[in-house]
Amino acid sequence: MESAAETSTAGVSVKDDLSEKCQKLFLEFLEEFQDTNGEILYQPDAEELIRPERNTLTVNFTNIEHFNQQLATTIQEEYYRVYPFLCRAVRYFARDHGNMPVAKEFYVAFSDFPSRQKIRELSTARIGSLLRISGQVVRTHPVHPELVSGTFLCLECQSVMKDVEQQFKYTLPNICKNPVCANRRHFMLDPNKSRFVDFQKVRIQETQAELPRGSIPRSVEVILRAEAVEMAQAGDRCDFTGTLIVVPDVAALAVSGTRAETSSRVTGGRQGFDADGIQGLKALGVRDLSYRLAFLACYVAPTNPQFGGKDLRQEDQTAESVKNQMTVQEWEKVFEMSQDKNLYHNLCTSLFPTIHGNNEIKRGILLMLFGGVGKTTMEGTSLRGDINVCIVGDPSTSKSQFLKHVEDFAPRAVYTSGKASSAAGLTAAVVKDEESHEFVIEAGALMLADNGVCCIDEFDKMDLKDQVAIHEAMEQQTISITKAGVKATLNARTSILAAANPIDGRYNRSKSLKQNVNMSAPIMSRFDLFFILIDECNEVTDYAIARRIVDLHFRNMESVERVYATDEIQRYILFARQFKPKITAEAKEFVVDQYKRLRQRDSSGSTKSAWRITVRQLESMLRLSEGMARLYCSDELTYLKVHPKHVKEAFRLLNKSVIRVDSPDINFDQEQDNGEMNDHSDMIGTNRNHAEEAMDTEHGAGRPEKTSTAKPALKMTFAEYKRVSNLIVFHMQKMEDIDESSLKMSELINWYLKEMESEIESEAELVAKKNLIEKVLHRLIHYDHIIIELTKTGLKKVGDEGEEPVIEEDPFLVVNPNYILED
Amino acid sequence: MPSSHDWINKPLGVVEAMFAQSNSNPEWEAKVLEYFKGQLKEKESHSWVPSLNDVPLHYLKPNSLVKFRCLVQDMFDPEFYMGVYETVDPSTKVLRCGKYKDVTECGVDLNSRNTVTAERQTFYCVPIPGESPWAKEISFLSAARVVPSTSYVPSRQKRSYEEDDDMDTQPQKTKWSLTELQSSSPHGNGDSKRQETEAPSSQTTAPSDCSSHLDLNFPLPGERGPACLVKVYEGLDSFKLNDTLEIYGILSVNPVLTVIVYPYRDPSLLLLNPTESMETPEEQRAHDPPASLVPRLHMLYARPLQHNNPLLPSAPTEDQSAFVSSFLVEMASVRAELLAYLTHVLLGDGLAAEYLLLHLISNVYTRRDVLPLGKFTLNLSGCPLNSYTERLYQIVQQLVPCSYRLSMSLHTMNSMRLVPKKDYVANRLVSGALQLARNTSLFLDETQLEQGQLDSSGVRNITALGNLISWQKVDYDFSYHQMEFPCNINVLVTSEGRSLLPSDCQVPLQPQVTPPNMEEYLTTIHMAQFTSQINKFRVYLSLARTLDYSISDEVTKAVEDDFVDMRKDDPQSVTAEDLHRMLVVARLLSLSLGQTTLSRDGWMRAKHIDMLRRSRTEQQKSLNGNEP
Repeated sequence: MESAAETSTAGVSVKDDLSEKCQKLFLEFLEEFQDTNGEILYQPDAEELIRPERNTLTVNFTNIEHFNQQLATTIQEEYYRVYPFLCRAVRYFARDHGNMPVAKEFYVAFSDFPSRQKIRELSTARIGSLLRISGQVVRTHPVHPELVSGTFLCLECQSVMKDVEQQFKYTLPNICKNPVCANRRHFMLDPNKSRFVDFQKVRIQETQAELPRGSIPRSVEVILRAEAVEMAQAGDRCDFTGTLIVVPDVAALAVSGTRAETSSRVTGGRQGFDADGIQGLKALGVRDLSYRLAFLACYVAPTNPQFGGKDLRQEDQTAESVKNQMTVQEWEKVFEMSQDKNLYHNLCTSLFPTIHGNNEIKRGILLMLFGGVGKTTMEGTSLRGDINVCIVGDPSTSKSQFLKHVEDFAPRAVYTSGKASSAAGLTAAVVKDEESHEFVIEAGALMLADNGVCCIDEFDKMDLKDQVAIHEAMEQQTISITKAGVKATLNARTSILAAANPIDGRYNRSKSLKQNVNMSAPIMSRFDLFFILIDECNEVTDYAIARRIVDLHFRNMESVERVYATDEIQRYILFARQFKPKITAEAKEFVVDQYKRLRQRDSSGSTKSAWRITVRQLESMLRLSEGMARLYCSDELTYLKVHPKHVKEAFRLLNKSVIRVDSPDINFDQEQDNGEMNDHSDMIGTNRNHAEEAMDTEHGAGRPEKTSTAKPALKMTFAEYKRVSNLIVFHMQKMEDIDESSLKMSELINWYLKEMESEIESEAELVAKKNLIEKVLHRLIHYDHIIIELTKTGLKKVGDEGEEPVIEEDPFLVVNPNYILED
Repeated sequence: MPSSHDWINKPLGVVEAMFAQSNSNPEWEAKVLEYFKGQLKEKESHSWVPSLNDVPLHYLKPNSLVKFRCLVQDMFDPEFYMGVYETVDPSTKVLRCGKYKDVTECGVDLNSRNTVTAERQTFYCVPIPGESPWAKEISFLSAARVVPSTSYVPSRQKRSYEEDDDMDTQPQKTKWSLTELQSSSPHGNGDSKRQETEAPSSQTTAPSDCSSHLDLNFPLPGERGPACLVKVYEGLDSFKLNDTLEIYGILSVNPVLTVIVYPYRDPSLLLLNPTESMETPEEQRAHDPPASLVPRLHMLYARPLQHNNPLLPSAPTEDQSAFVSSFLVEMASVRAELLAYLTHVLLGDGLAAEYLLLHLISNVYTRRDVLPLGKFTLNLSGCPLNSYTERLYQIVQQLVPCSYRLSMSLHTMNSMRLVPKKDYVANRLVSGALQLARNTSLFLDETQLEQGQLDSSGVRNITALGNLISWQKVDYDFSYHQMEFPCNINVLVTSEGRSLLPSDCQVPLQPQVTPPNMEEYLTTIHMAQFTSQINKFRVYLSLARTLDYSISDEVTKAVEDDFVDMRKDDPQSVTAEDLHRMLVVARLLSLSLGQTTLSRDGWMRAKHIDMLRRSRTEQQKSLNGNEP
C-alpha cells in the first residue's frame, strides 16, 4: 500500500533527506571501502560496468555493516525508499571510474544478506525492508523489457517530455509541460528515446522443509530486473534478496483514462458487453479491497542448501559455517550430542524407535547417513563417498519399514519400488513435451535423490536391464542418457538403500547370498553392506516383538522413546558431514592388516564369502571408517582423523554383513528328524536372536570340535561341510573322468576315510567319521542334489525314497551333471 | 421466528456496528467472532442458517450468513486487503472496515494514513467428495424443515406425495427401489431428485458457455454442487488441506468479482506494463472464477467435522454424549442385525460379513512414525462377476456417509487422475480421485480389470493405490518433488482372485446360496429393510468409529504370552505382521460390540475369526496350488 502511495507521484521526486544522506554515505562506502590489501574493493567491479551487458554492481552487505552500521540499518529498514538513491550513487561511482555513457542506468544488488525469512513469514509488516527469502523456483516467465523512464510526445502540441518515471504501470505524464497546451490524455511513447530494463517474473514456492505438515506450499511472485534475470531456472532452489512490495491491483487502480483505452482495445468480441458493465460498476466507485504481494529481488543466488534447506551436504560448507547458522540452543544440543559417550547406540535407537532389534542394520544405515568422503584421484577419477546398503530378508521382516523410515528422516530421500518403476522411472527419461513437442529430461528417482538417499524397495524385482542402468549411478554417481538426440550426463550422487526378497521367498541359508538374491554380481559388489534379515523364532525375541507391537497399538506416544529428536539428529548429521576425516598412520596400518587378513582367508577357501574380497571391499571399509569418524566428530574439531577404533567398527560391520552371510552350521541329527530345509536355522542354537549373530562364528574349522562333546561330530559348520563335499565331488569327478565308471557308495566312504586316516586316532573316531561322512553323503544326495544315487541301475530293487540311504544296497553315485564345482 | 434474526440476514451490519463502537480498538475483531459463536451456540440456531449445500445459490441472499459443509481442496496464497480504509469524500470522511468484504461501494482514499493493510487467505472448498445421496437427502430435508431466510421454498415434485418431514421421525419402509439405485450412476453422485434444485444459474452475469469450460476441480468425476472460495481471517494454521469443515460465513456474490478473462493479450501491453500480466489467464480463471459459479464466503466460524453423518449430532456437546450412551445400550443388538443383513448381502457368508463390518468401522486412529495404526484394508476375493460388485457397492453406499467406487478397468487406470497434481500455470492443485475426506469408503473393484497393457500413468496410479493402502498417504505431485499427505481412507478391494494390491486382510468369499437371479435377490434383501433400520445401521457405523479404546495391563500381558506360545508351537504360523493384524481385529471387534476395552474374550474371539479366515485362505491356496 505504501509503495503505491509513494509511487503515485510519478515523475516528480519529493525531496527526501534521509535518502539523500544515504546516497552520500553509500557513495562514500563505495569510494572508501578497501579489501585487506588496501585496494578499493569495488573499483574493479565498477570499471567492469562499462561493458554493454553489465549494469549491476553487486555489493556484499556484510561489508556495509563493517563500514557503517547505521548505513546498513537504514538500507535494511528503508530499502525500498532508498533504493533509487543507492542506484544513483552507483552511477556516480561508475562514472568516476570509467567512461560510462551518460544515459546508462545502473543498479545495485546486495549479496550475503545475513538473515533469511521463510515465505510463510512474509507479511505486510515487512513491506519495503530488505529481506532474503529462499524457495524453489516453480515457474519462470520470459524476459520482457520494462519501461523505466519514458519519453512522450504530446499529440496535440508535439512537445517532447523526457524522463517520465514509470513504476509498475504505464504512467503517462499528468499534463503536457507546454503551459498553453492542456492536454492530459493524448500522448505517444517514443520507444527509441525511452529507457528499458530487463524484467522477468518467476514464482517461487516454499521448500518442503519449511512447510508445516498438511498444508499446501505457499508461493510468491518474484520480480527480477536487470542482471538478475535468467538467473533462476524452474526447479532450482534459490535465495532472493530484495523487498516485499505491494503490487497495485491493476484493475482496481486503473483510473478512468488509461483503463478505458486499454480495455476497449482488448475486450471486444463476445465478452465486450460484460466488460463494459463491470467497468461501469468500477467507475461508480465500487472497488476491490484486495492486493497482491510480490517480491522485488535485486540479487539471486542458488541456495547453498543450509539449515533452512536442511540438505545433508553441500560442497562449499564448512563445519564452522554450519555452526554459525545454528541458534545457540541448537548448537548446544549438537555439542551435547557430540560429548555423548553412548552416541552410536543412542543415535541408532532414536533413529528407528519402532523397529525392534536388528541393531547391525540400524548401525549400517546410520553410517550410510553419515557417509564417507568423496575423493578425486590424481588422474581425476572421482571415488564415491556414498555408502550403499542392501537388506535381503524374509517377507514381513520390516524391510520396508527401514526404507520408509529413512525416506521420512533424510532430506532429499526418495522411496521407490523396483517393481513399479522402470529404468526410466528410476534414472532419467527423455520425454516429449506434449505441448511444445520439445524433448525434455524428466528426472527419475535417482536424480531426485541427488545428494540424498534413494530407497529402492523390491530391488530384485527390478528388470535386470534396469539394474544395469543404475550401475553407473552407483559407482560413477552420474546418469548418462543418449536418446532422441539428447545427450546428457546428470548428477546422481545418491546413497542407495535397497531391500530385496530372497529368490525362494525365504532365505535359504545353505545357499550362498548370490544364489539367494536375484541380482547380478557387478551390482552386488557395489553395495558396501549387505544385511540379511531372517524371521527367527525364540522366546526372548518373540516377547520383545510382541511387547513392541502391543505397545505401538495401545500405549500413547511415550512408548516411542528416543534419546534425540529427529531434527536434532538431522542437525547433528549435517554438522558432522562437514568434516573430511583423514586417516592416521596407525589406522592405515590397521586397515592394511585387516584387508590382508580378509584376502588371505578368502583365498584359502576355508570360508566361502559372498564374493571375493577385492579392493572394492577395501574402499567400503574406508568409507565406513570415515563415516564412523564423522559420527564421533567431537574428538578433534579441526582436523578429524580416522582412528583404528573407527576402522575396527567398520571392519566389524563389514565382516558381519559381507563375509559370513552364508555359513550356518549344519546339524545332521535334527535335519533328518525334521527334514525341513528352511528351518534348520532355528535349530542350531538357542541364543541366536538375529541373523547377524547367527553368522557370527569365528573361524569355521574350530567349531565341530567344540560342539562335538555332546553329540559327536553330528554338527559341522557350513564351511566344513562345503569343504568335505567339494573334496568328495572333486574325487568323484576325477574318477569319472579317468575310467568313466561310477563309484559305489561304500567305495567312496572308504576312500574318504583313507584320506582322513592321518587325523583318525582311535576306533571311536573312525566310527564317528564314518557316521559323519554317511550323513554328508545323505545330505548331498537328498537335499542339495549334488550327487545322484543310482539305485535302479544295480541288481538290487529300488530303495524307498526318503528313507535313510540303504548302505547295504550300496548304490552307485554320480555327480549331478549340472553341478559345477565352485571355487 | 428465525427470519427476524439480523445476525443471519445482515451479518455485515452487525460487524459494522461493532467496528464503529470500537474506536479502532483492535479487540473488536475478537468480539465479532465471540458474538457469532455465541449466537450459533444457542439451541438449534445453527439449523436456521441456510446451507450452501442444500439451497441453490441464486435463492440465497447476498451478504447473508450461510453455512457450507465442505472439504478444503486447495489453499491459495495469502492476499492482502484494506482492513480499515477511509472514504474519499472529504465532507464525510469516515473510517470503514474492510473485513469480511470483497468490494466497497464508496470511494477509497488510497493515500490515507489511516489505512490498515491486513492479511487473509483463500481456501478453495468443494462439497465433501463422494457424499452419499442419503446423507445429502437427510441434510436437505432438515434444511427444508426450517424455513430459511430466503424466499426459497424447496419444491420437490417427484417426492411431494411422500411425507417429507416425518421421514426421519417415523419408521417407514424404505422407498428406495433398485431402479432408483440404478439411477444413481456408477459414480453414485448424480442424484436425480436434486437436479431441479440445481437450477441453471442463468441469471448470472457470466455467459453460459463460460461455465461449461470452467473446471470446478472436484476430486471425483461427476460431482456437482457449489464450490466456494472461502476467505479465512483467523487461525490460518489450524486448517489443513483435506479437512472437512462446516463453515459459517458471509456470502459474497458481487458480480464485480467476475474478472474478465481476456481471450488474448495485446503483446504491446506487456511491453509497456509487464506487471499487468502478473496473473496468467489460466491463473485468473482458477483464482477468480465468476462469483455466480463459485461464490465467496467470508468465514466467521468454522467447525471441523468428525464425520458427515447427518443422523448423528456433529458437535461434541452434552447432546452427543447423551446420544452415545443411549445408543451404546442397543449397540450389540444393532450389530447382530447389521451382521445378519450383511450376511445376506454377502450371499450367506457370515465370516466375510463379520470382516466387512469390522472394515466399515475401521479408522486410522494414530500414526507412529511412518506406521498408520488402525487401518484395515479388506480384500474380498472370489466375488461373483456380473455386476455383483456394483450392487455390493450400492449397499455399502447406503450405509456410509461418504463413498466412491473406483472401477479398476485398464482404461480407467490408464486415463484417470488419481493423485492430485500442482498445476503451476494456473497455480492451483488439480484434484484427483484420491483427494478424499477422512473415513471415506473407497471401493476398488478389481473384477473390472482385464488383461492388457498399463501405461506409465497406469503404473503410477496402481503405485498410488498401493501406497494409499500400505501407508495411508498419498504423494501429491508437485512436479519438482512429491509431497506426502496423510489420509484416512477405508479401502475395500473386491476381486476374483487375490488382489494385486496389498491388503491388510484377505477374505475369500464363500457363497452359501447361489440365487438364480442375483439382482432380484439383492433387491429383495434391500427392500426388506426399514428406513429406520438402515438409519440405525448408519448411526451404528459412524458411532463405533468414534469410541475410545484402551487395553489393560493384564490383557497386554496375556496377548504377549499368547503370541510367544503360538510362535513356540509353530514358528511359521504367526509373524509379527499377523500380531499387528490380530490386534487391529481385536480392537475393531471390541468396538463393534460397544466395548471400549479389550477383554480376554475379545482377544480369543479375534484370534478365532482370524484363524477361520486364514484356514480359508490356506484352503484357497492349496486349491489354486500357487504361492501367495
